[in-house]
Amino acid sequence: MVCPYSFDVPGGVQFHVRDLAEVFLAQGHEVSVLAPADDDADLPPYLTSCGRAVPVRYNGSVARLTFGPVTSARVARWLEGGRFDIVHLHEPVTPSVSLMALWAAEDPVVATFHTSTVRSRAMHAANPLLRPSLEKIRGRIAVSEDAARTVRSHLGGETYIVPNGVHVDRFGAAPAREAWTGRPSAPTLAFLGRVDEPRKGLDVLLRALPAVLESHPGTRLLVAGPGDAQDLLRRADPRARAATTVLGAVSDPDKATLLRSVDAYVAPHLGGESFGIVLVEAMAAGAPVVASDLSAFVAVLDGGRCGVTFETGSPSALAAALTALLGDGARRASLRAAGRERARAFDWSRVSGQVMAVYETVLAGAHAEVPDPAPRTLWNRLVRSVPGTGGGGS
Amino acid sequence: MSGLDIDVLQVATFLVIALIAAAWYLSYAAARLDRLHTKVEGAMSALDAQLVRRAEATLELATSGALDPATALLLTDAATESIERTTEHPLAEDLLDGQHFGGREQVEATLTEVLSLTLTDELVTGLRAEGDELVEEALERIGASALRVRMARRFHNDAVREVRRVRAKRAVRWFRLAGHAGLPERVEFDDEVPAALGR
Repeated sequence: MVCPYSFDVPGGVQFHVRDLAEVFLAQGHEVSVLAPADDDADLPPYLTSCGRAVPVRYNGSVARLTFGPVTSARVARWLEGGRFDIVHLHEPVTPSVSLMALWAAEDPVVATFHTSTVRSRAMHAANPLLRPSLEKIRGRIAVSEDAARTVRSHLGGETYIVPNGVHVDRFGAAPAREAWTGRPSAPTLAFLGRVDEPRKGLDVLLRALPAVLESHPGTRLLVAGPGDAQDLLRRADPRARAATTVLGAVSDPDKATLLRSVDAYVAPHLGGESFGIVLVEAMAAGAPVVASDLSAFVAVLDGGRCGVTFETGSPSALAAALTALLGDGARRASLRAAGRERARAFDWSRVSGQVMAVYETVLAGAHAEVPDPAPRTLWNRLVRSVPGTGGGGS
Repeated sequence: MSGLDIDVLQVATFLVIALIAAAWYLSYAAARLDRLHTKVEGAMSALDAQLVRRAEATLELATSGALDPATALLLTDAATESIERTTEHPLAEDLLDGQHFGGREQVEATLTEVLSLTLTDELVTGLRAEGDELVEEALERIGASALRVRMARRFHNDAVREVRRVRAKRAVRWFRLAGHAGLPERVEFDDEVPAALGR
């Protein structure tokens, strides 16, 4: 498996790769993960580092990527030494190790597309360059309908949708914490995500809060996630500021505990979300979900059946949704139950089975192919082992 | 005089370089196309194998005696049709023969339809409750192969799209790089996994 983003920095793709690798290892498969990572960082045994990641501006945000000839050589060595049955690339068009591995790979390739915001001019320009490489992918997976749509519009063609996975039981079995548990007079709300990233929409929530406080004066907002919230809080309404507790970055067990304790989890994201794994985590923990009506979120909430959705970016709509939900205990209880049921569909046990089915289907196709009997002449090698097209005959 | 000599030499050199480049490009394009054709062929045979598995598992369930005769007959009918129509030689000597799906779309769509009509939530829960190992296994296999049929069909159609795009290139058409290989077709049929087995 290849992950393009630095493994020692938290992120959706990295967690997905880590969890999937660990699930497969637990099932007795052999897994090796190639990703950028600091060599001195505490790394899991299945990880091979392909060098340090460098923060680069790409596609409108700063990503930690790896590139260059040294990395390229490490990728080639890893592929050669691994003798893999399947090479599973994540985000294959990100200019990092995944793309390099795609370039170099000769084994059957499966690729997972995570993002729904690949709006890169560079990718369009480089398209003819990437095409022959992309043709090596035998199975394309998208994590959601949104991600599939992005792939369709940029690269064309179809993808099979396998959702992101969550360890549902870890969230469902988390203990509640007294300090974070809401009372009827003082309900609690949770926000999770980078606080200083506008896309995550904390600002919308802070602006909705005063109206919520009017009908439910004791309401408390618990903000968990890395980043500096001070700037945002200073500009917020004083009432909203007083009701907000900033927890900073929290550990995985604490995240589960937080979601288990609160009366509602709020996802006020403004866009750029292709899946919404936190929504699944919240549902698994039994937190009623209030989310923007982004198409990816509505899909995760099963058409909005398992949560409350409001108009994206509208503080007044969010305030109305929250006020109604906090005043309706029965609705919260039914959402908790529906969410738990829904989250099951995203449990790793189910998701990993589907990924394995993709591997098997791809392998069945690859094995059925008659090996190419091309002789190893110089001309043949020149033609066939052009980098990026795989050495068909060699 | 000497000026003309150099010109001829230069032109000749350029011509040779251009010819080599063109030859390289054509060989490269042909190799790429060949690889893509192979991929389509592999994807087709994966799809074929899963369709056979699905039909066989359906027959197994139908003949297990756990179903009422009407349901069993419906399933047997659809599954037998599918097995009979399976391409006789999915992997013939020539890679690019037997490429077409042989008009089986209708037959496979029928099996899909019959499966989802007969294997209702109610029936599947009932069958599972009986705890018959053979039936359980057959249900499991129908579900697994139906899922893989879905995947294989998408991967196949994606490979077809790639072949067709490369073959639409002017160089490929003018120099007949595809040889006598038939243009692969997409395979379209309803491949919904029976809802009761999908979870």
